[in-house]
Amino acid sequence: MKPNGSFAKLFSVLFALFMLAPIIVVVGVSFTPTGYLEFPPSGISLRWFREILNHPDFIAAGWVSLKLGFASACVATVLSLPAALAIGRGRFRGREALQSLFLSPLMVPTVVLGIAFLRFLTLVGLNGTFFGLMLCHAIIITPFILRLVLAAVIGLDRSVEMAATSLGASGWTVFRRITLPAIIPGVIGGWVLAFITSFDELTVTVFIVDPSTTTLPVRLFSHISQTTDPLVASISTVAILFTVVLMLFVDRLYGLDRLLIGEGKR
Amino acid sequence: MAFLELQGLTKLYNHFVAVSNFDLKVDKGSFVSLLGPSGCGKTTTLQMIAGFTEPSSGSIFLNGKDLSNIPARKRGLGIVFQSYALFMHMTVAENVAFGLEMRKIDRSERDRRVADTLELVHLAHLADRYPVAMSGGQRQRVALARALVIEPELLLLDEPLSNLDAKLREEMQLELRRIQQEAGVTTVMVTHDQSEAMALSDSVVVMENGKIRQEATPFDVYETPTSPFVSNFLGKSNNMRAELISQTPDGAIVECNGIRLESDPVSLPQGPVVVAIRPERIEIASSATDIPGRVTERVFLGSQWLLKVETGLGELLVTRRNTGHREAAPGDQVFLNWDRRHLRILPVEQKVSRT
Ligand SMILES: Nc1ncnc2c1ncn2[C@@H]1O[C@H](COP(=O)(O)OP(=O)(O)O)[C@@H](O)[C@H]1O
Ligand SMILES: [Mg+2]
Repeated sequence: MKPNGSFAKLFSVLFALFMLAPIIVVVGVSFTPTGYLEFPPSGISLRWFREILNHPDFIAAGWVSLKLGFASACVATVLSLPAALAIGRGRFRGREALQSLFLSPLMVPTVVLGIAFLRFLTLVGLNGTFFGLMLCHAIIITPFILRLVLAAVIGLDRSVEMAATSLGASGWTVFRRITLPAIIPGVIGGWVLAFITSFDELTVTVFIVDPSTTTLPVRLFSHISQTTDPLVASISTVAILFTVVLMLFVDRLYGLDRLLIGEGKR
Repeated sequence: MAFLELQGLTKLYNHFVAVSNFDLKVDKGSFVSLLGPSGCGKTTTLQMIAGFTEPSSGSIFLNGKDLSNIPARKRGLGIVFQSYALFMHMTVAENVAFGLEMRKIDRSERDRRVADTLELVHLAHLADRYPVAMSGGQRQRVALARALVIEPELLLLDEPLSNLDAKLREEMQLELRRIQQEAGVTTVMVTHDQSEAMALSDSVVVMENGKIRQEATPFDVYETPTSPFVSNFLGKSNNMRAELISQTPDGAIVECNGIRLESDPVSLPQGPVVVAIRPERIEIASSATDIPGRVTERVFLGSQWLLKVETGLGELLVTRRNTGHREAAPGDQVFLNWDRRHLRILPVEQKVSRT
């Protein structure tokens, strides 16, 4: 298959359509004027977007998710930065083990993780608290951010830091003026990815939320298990819009291709 | 005591000897190259001088001070790394100003010195560029300016030109020499490129397996190598096994593959030796002489021809200046000779062990 042949182009278009189809359907459905899920919509109306305002519980859950994503992404960043520096450039025994430990929750089935977190939170008396939920999310998303920061650290040329040292910079100055600016795109990219992962997270979260800390995905999930009205579609559309804006922001800052391939800025 | 003095400098990695008992004296203002094949310990030596690698034993004196207990950041040396190691998030001027900033030099003086140094490396017009938008040669100059602006007592260069393409490398050689002399800074350069070392240095230190093999001016290392290794490493050389069979005050005679060759007197014991002759010292004689041969290969190099000639001594490389005439072609019978002054008699190489 020629990379630019018409068949290849057709294939790419079909593939993109296949990937985007769910989003197109959800966004389409959210503009329906009717009271049921309908695609393609028979008209264009903002009815179900106005309807969101009549559901303060959804708005509250949305705020919880935003706060949760923000706090857990920050905590995970603070954990990942020193870990990535140590793993990326340290020469010590057990370095490999540490690396797989940090990347491990990616491999544990989320259901198992959910049950484990529930047991753990009950044990330490944090069950049902926002703080407990935030800790669990931080653990889930740390591997995502660690990966990106690690890639940035490994891509960093040690001699750049040596150059700064030879010019008279102290260890802290080297970190602040040279190392951090060089890896900051990886850190921000990791933060955003972590935020989105937390904002999205359902499987683990259902095990550990309580009514006061219900997140948006959990609220949506319980809503559709009772009724199916276009409200879920309009809320999803808002969430999609929010994600797209965030992604555009990252793209401007860093380049999405780099972020998703996960290589450090050279 | 010399301006820079290394005394018995040694670096062991476990039991592996990276640098062994390294002694070196460098005069103020001079340019010394450490030359040797990859892995011979050049970078390790440089890093010990810079303070990034701790010597296993030995000491380093700079301008009379013992550097042993001075950390890298306080040594005040200018270092140019092979990768240039520029600060990619800073402009050229910010890169160059960094060292002055660390020294808390006030704004106006800092600006003036940055401008002067950029002038020196011919980069004044690019002060506000970011390194990403620059060519290899320009980055190299930024790295040099950044190292020189702090007026270091010593400039260390690790393979400074190896990332440049051939033509640019030649230009930068001249530039580097000019800049070093204008700044008057004592310089130690590390390189595996013999032509670079010869073009730039006042003195060349040839290294092998962590040890110094020979130290002399570029001309002397080239003309009077003391070992087959050095003779091979600098320039091209035809090295042949031979037997030193007689010595008199007016000359020595060696036998190589049953052929007797004369040379100037040498001070070596009789027995196995290596004879070396440079390709450009071999003449193609117009009349039949001692050494007949047959051309097996011929390569045209523009300013010269490179011939391979099969002789009773073995295969000899011969270079001939291109004078605008066609050179002997493969298959041609030729006769070789040379002035006996050009024949070097060297001791047989002993393998240098690393432990
Ligand atoms: N940190 C290290 N640990 C172990 N061996 C090393 C280390 N650094 C360098 N070496 C070894 O020491 C030798 C000299 O290295 P180096 O000084 O970098 O050589 P050069 O710069 O001449 O190519 C090499 O064989 C290299 O493998
Ligand atoms: Mg090296």
